[in-house]
Amino acid sequence: MLSIAPNFGNTFIIIVLIRIMYYGLLTIAFSFLASQLGLFSLMVPVAFGVSGYTIAILETKNILIFPYSALVGIILALIISTFLGVMVNRSKGTYFLMLTLVLGQLAYAIALQWVSLTKGTTGITGVNRPYLLNIANLESNILFYYFILVVFIICIILLYVLINSSFGVKLRGVRESESRMIMLGYNTSLIKWVAFMVSSFVSSIGGIFFVYFIGVMNPDAISLNASVKVMIASIFGGINSIIGAIIGTGIIKIVEIVLSGITQRYLLIIGVMFLIVILLAPNGIMGIAERISKFGTRFFKKNSK
Amino acid sequence: MLLMTFINGLTIAALLFIMAVGLNLSFGLLRIVNLTHGSFYLLGGYIGLYVYKATESWIFGIVAAGIVVAIIAFIEEFTLLRRVRGKPTLETLITLSLAIIISDLLIVIWGGNPKTIKIPELLKGYVTLFDANVPIYNIFIFCFACFICLTLWLILQKTKIGMIIRAGVDNFEITSTLGINIQLVFTLVFTAAGFLAGIGGAIGGTYLMVAPGEDWRILTYTLLVIIIGGMGSFGGTIVGSIIIGMIFSFGNVYVPQFSLFLMFAPVAITLVIRPKGLFGRITS
Repeated sequence: MLSIAPNFGNTFIIIVLIRIMYYGLLTIAFSFLASQLGLFSLMVPVAFGVSGYTIAILETKNILIFPYSALVGIILALIISTFLGVMVNRSKGTYFLMLTLVLGQLAYAIALQWVSLTKGTTGITGVNRPYLLNIANLESNILFYYFILVVFIICIILLYVLINSSFGVKLRGVRESESRMIMLGYNTSLIKWVAFMVSSFVSSIGGIFFVYFIGVMNPDAISLNASVKVMIASIFGGINSIIGAIIGTGIIKIVEIVLSGITQRYLLIIGVMFLIVILLAPNGIMGIAERISKFGTRFFKKNSK
Repeated sequence: MLLMTFINGLTIAALLFIMAVGLNLSFGLLRIVNLTHGSFYLLGGYIGLYVYKATESWIFGIVAAGIVVAIIAFIEEFTLLRRVRGKPTLETLITLSLAIIISDLLIVIWGGNPKTIKIPELLKGYVTLFDANVPIYNIFIFCFACFICLTLWLILQKTKIGMIIRAGVDNFEITSTLGINIQLVFTLVFTAAGFLAGIGGAIGGTYLMVAPGEDWRILTYTLLVIIIGGMGSFGGTIVGSIIIGMIFSFGNVYVPQFSLFLMFAPVAITLVIRPKGLFGRITS
């Protein structure tokens, strides 16, 4: 459905879909950790920011160009995530949430403070979209759209394979009872760390598309508002599924676009919506859909008897 | 210079202590991170400013800030958090959503421009200590934090309610089996933490500034204090505030661009050596 959408839509819809997809990568990264390990990481955007900033710096200073700069961006994001992953590895539950909030905020503050490298609040401007291997000019939105779509789908497929592999089962084992997994002889810190790295990898890919699409990299991209929006999108859609994360991102982005046309303070409304969802339907839209389908099958069975 | 930096560090530490001690107590007892605490701080600052301008009395502004924020904390605990008690992640998410709502509401009401609360006449001026001119207000913040520290310590150690709170931090289930209404104690501690945050906001707003974004900044530092000091630990909060206050002050003077990189160091070291914090006993 997504692949034929641009033929019907105008440029605006394509831009919205591209935005949904690169924020979607971020939400998937969050959702992966939250659904498989039960850990709510508020520093998912850090990897997003690191890869984005690396590319922006390398390209504007003419050090490296596209495939290499993106590669360096991902590698750097993974290196930093390695340290962060080790730091948060032993915590869980609300303590993990608090720790990632603090580390994410520190990363944001550093991006704001390290003016000589990141140019502070204004951010780095003038990142041009690459000539992809001299064949397709990614300048046009349609080509950019197809490129991000392919990467997006590959990421989702890879995550699905991972979730359904034996590694995914181990992750859910850690989520349900870490002490039992340790007793069974698994190195749970390693399992958690690998999951964290996978999440960072997906998030850093989102950062690449973000910086090339917007052309500007500023600290707002990794601010607390950004990470909270990711979390809200993920919870909106349903924390237990990747599909839910994508739907949630779609809803939040559309709500944001519609509301930001009306008022500057749309975050207030999103916050209220978030509160209502947590209180009334903690499993989000996918949870509601599940409830309806369960009700439907029960209803159907009753009638067929 | 060195002495002045040290005194600034102590002032920040005192401010962080006022913020962190309430948060840490409610953290130890309720087992949730109240992410609304930063918004409480900013709300306290704005209310203090508003009442100070209206009544011309700084003391009155501070008391009003404390009371209003305490009422809001009470409402939050009583109407929202109680509904999902026993699910710590959901409770924390509720506090987060409230923090977003409050910080956006504050921008709607008071606008986005930074404001400062004027230092009252009584606390203006300087005292010469050795060879540094120390503002009286810094000394006031430090003394006030010491006062709060002493009062809380006396309450925790010498009164019955303090005994219940300490028992609750160690194990609230067993405490409640002794016939103690633990939910009431939860509400009380949460409200008291809100009161302290409101006062901290008005006092800190006079020292720093009242502006959007300050809420998350202060929350980050407060949480850093708790991570380093340890959850539910009174002594840990003191040590943690001093460490963070000093790093903040010295970092800003000697390596202004990298002062926040320095913040990573104590966190990383603490998490590697003692994941529960320097004085923490509680596992999450």
